[in-house]
Amino acid sequence: MPDPKPGIEFMQGNDACTEGALAAGLKFFAGYPITPSTEITERLAFRLPEKGGVFLQMEDELACISAIVGASWAGVKAMTTTSGPGFSLMQEGIGYAAMTETPVVIVNVMRGGPSTGQPTMATQADVMQAKWGSHGDYQIIALAPFSVQESYDLTVEAFNLAEKYRVPTMLLSDAEIAHMRGRIEIPKRIDLVERKELCSDRRGRAYDIPDELVPPFTTFGHGHRAFVTGMTHNPQGNIAPEDEKVQEELVLRLNEKILKNQKDISRYEITNPDAKKFVISYGTSALAAKEIAVENKEIGLLRLKTIWPLPEEQILDIAQRARSILVVEMNMGQLVREIQRLACSVGCRSVRFMSKLGGEAPRKREILPVLSRMEG
Amino acid sequence: MRLAVQFEDFFRVERLPHVFCPGCGIGVVMNCFFRAFVNSGLNLKDTVFTGGIGCSSRIPMYINGDMLHTTHGRAIPFATGLKLANPKLKVVIFAGDGDIGAIGGNHLINGCRRNVDLTVICINNNTYGMTGGQMSTTTPHGYLSTTSPDGNLEYPFDLSKLAAAAGANYVARWTVRHVHELVKSMEKALGKKGFAFVEVVSTCPTGFGRRNKMGDPVQQLEWLKSVSVRKEKMQDEEMDQLDLNMQGLISVGEFVDRDRPSLSDLLSGTKAGVRP
Amino acid sequence: MKPVINPKYCKGCNICLYVCPKGCYSKSNDLSELGYYVPRVSSPEKCFNHGRTGKMLCELCALSCPDQAIIWIKEE
Repeated sequence: MPDPKPGIEFMQGNDACTEGALAAGLKFFAGYPITPSTEITERLAFRLPEKGGVFLQMEDELACISAIVGASWAGVKAMTTTSGPGFSLMQEGIGYAAMTETPVVIVNVMRGGPSTGQPTMATQADVMQAKWGSHGDYQIIALAPFSVQESYDLTVEAFNLAEKYRVPTMLLSDAEIAHMRGRIEIPKRIDLVERKELCSDRRGRAYDIPDELVPPFTTFGHGHRAFVTGMTHNPQGNIAPEDEKVQEELVLRLNEKILKNQKDISRYEITNPDAKKFVISYGTSALAAKEIAVENKEIGLLRLKTIWPLPEEQILDIAQRARSILVVEMNMGQLVREIQRLACSVGCRSVRFMSKLGGEAPRKREILPVLSRMEG
Repeated sequence: MRLAVQFEDFFRVERLPHVFCPGCGIGVVMNCFFRAFVNSGLNLKDTVFTGGIGCSSRIPMYINGDMLHTTHGRAIPFATGLKLANPKLKVVIFAGDGDIGAIGGNHLINGCRRNVDLTVICINNNTYGMTGGQMSTTTPHGYLSTTSPDGNLEYPFDLSKLAAAAGANYVARWTVRHVHELVKSMEKALGKKGFAFVEVVSTCPTGFGRRNKMGDPVQQLEWLKSVSVRKEKMQDEEMDQLDLNMQGLISVGEFVDRDRPSLSDLLSGTKAGVRP
Repeated sequence: MKPVINPKYCKGCNICLYVCPKGCYSKSNDLSELGYYVPRVSSPEKCFNHGRTGKMLCELCALSCPDQAIIWIKEE
């Protein structure tokens, strides 16, 4: 199958994600069949070898995340895809990727949980797990598409961010976005970011991040004598599991690497920035909210494209200007807790929460009555 | 003696002497592997050493090559990704019986089945050494450990038979008393296409030996020598490792040496295969 | 060639005594800096490699030493 030509296409969300990954330079994929992400795995099974890459179906999700981390150390861009039950299994490997600062992309097409739950229905109940799923203090980057177009664009972004910050990056899609079909514009060209390797020239693209927070990559097979381990290690690459200072410095750097660069990593969309009533949402929950904001100038929408690290600056800004905020999520309240905490810190106590459970996207007619009862 | 690769070039001498206990068989495996590596004519720059978690998996930390110290039991899928993403790399895995035979069991059998070009050195000391001597999936029936204080009720795996049945191209088992045969087998494994599995039954005086009346490493070596029988001389199939107890025996030798197509070859035969 | 034990590596396990087919090693009471009793090469003339250079006839001790403590040096 040839690459989609630049221009307008009509595609399924999962297929858009696949083509975005291929356009970003994906060369190694290890997957395990799980609804509702299987289309990505199946499409890559024939597309990836066509592009000179390697496709593997592994024996379980633990093997998937392990294989893509291994492939990344061989110097290639690697990705896996899964849903809730598999995502839970991958946490061990995600923690390992975070500790060893391995660039990998993990697509979690969220489905109703807990446990086996609803394989074909959407949810947003994995957003906290994406951040806190593995043990220890670490940061990841997570992006949430809300359309077929973003399933393509944000997948490319995910690869770029993973390479730039040497961190496991997640794409938090869901059953709704994955299976919806819609209009997508394939861009004429996309800008790709490659990891910077130890002692090699930077190919003319100097990153504007402080060098010491993201160490240069020691690709295997290039004579670096790389020492890569999940144990606490010092900057020389030696293990130092009983050194208090080394552990503190390592953990601080792994976290600050992302937190200090929030401005560069945060992606969001604001509709009606001067409104006094604001909705903060992301992914499938934002579909109806976006329609409402477009039709009603007095209702603003902060649509988060980056979930982690949370775009704190934008949230604080709205908390200070708006009279009331409504957070819409398809879970029992996950990001809303962070938003409420942030809003409280600037004196805003009117953050309301609309929880949509059951697996269907929140509808306009469910959100509007809640909004009408709010101040602003 | 002038070797093609010197001791100081092969090992990270700044990290020696290693942390393993006096009499630990892992050191013997290091010697034999060094010799086999030199004999095989491989290049350190193109070789990657990986390991899971455990004493055995710490060997890569002492070798002067690219090394990947992974999560417990998962060295094989990590190595699979490494090897298939860059087929020019030679990938060697060092792991213990608990790592490969318990938590990594699924990865072991699928690794053998997939038959990617990997060399696995499994150091079987019948225990979980690093964590203090708990029973593992290869602890013989009736033997003592910290989690089987009244004698192991379970029966052990025969890891070599498992690897052979799962499809590995080369399977051999020796003990740390068979140093010359070990060097030869490791050399063969390094040069073999497909999944090569070398099991080394080893001593763990601290974790296993001293709980089972073999606290002196020499005692455990004597035990290994007395219970190992060349596979050709094995009279009774049933007296094999599965029933290993004071009367049981371990068969040693090369169990499998075949040329099933390796996944690396199969992949490069199609449109796939990453261009490095 | 004759074997020499490096006291910086030896951990006193005495495996060399056990594997040597000619009995070249014996126990000693010499305490090393690391705190181990390092064996003595008491009868190097019994070694298969005594008086030879070139290919080694026997390396059981060096291969079996878990601590890489045995090295070969040319006899004067």
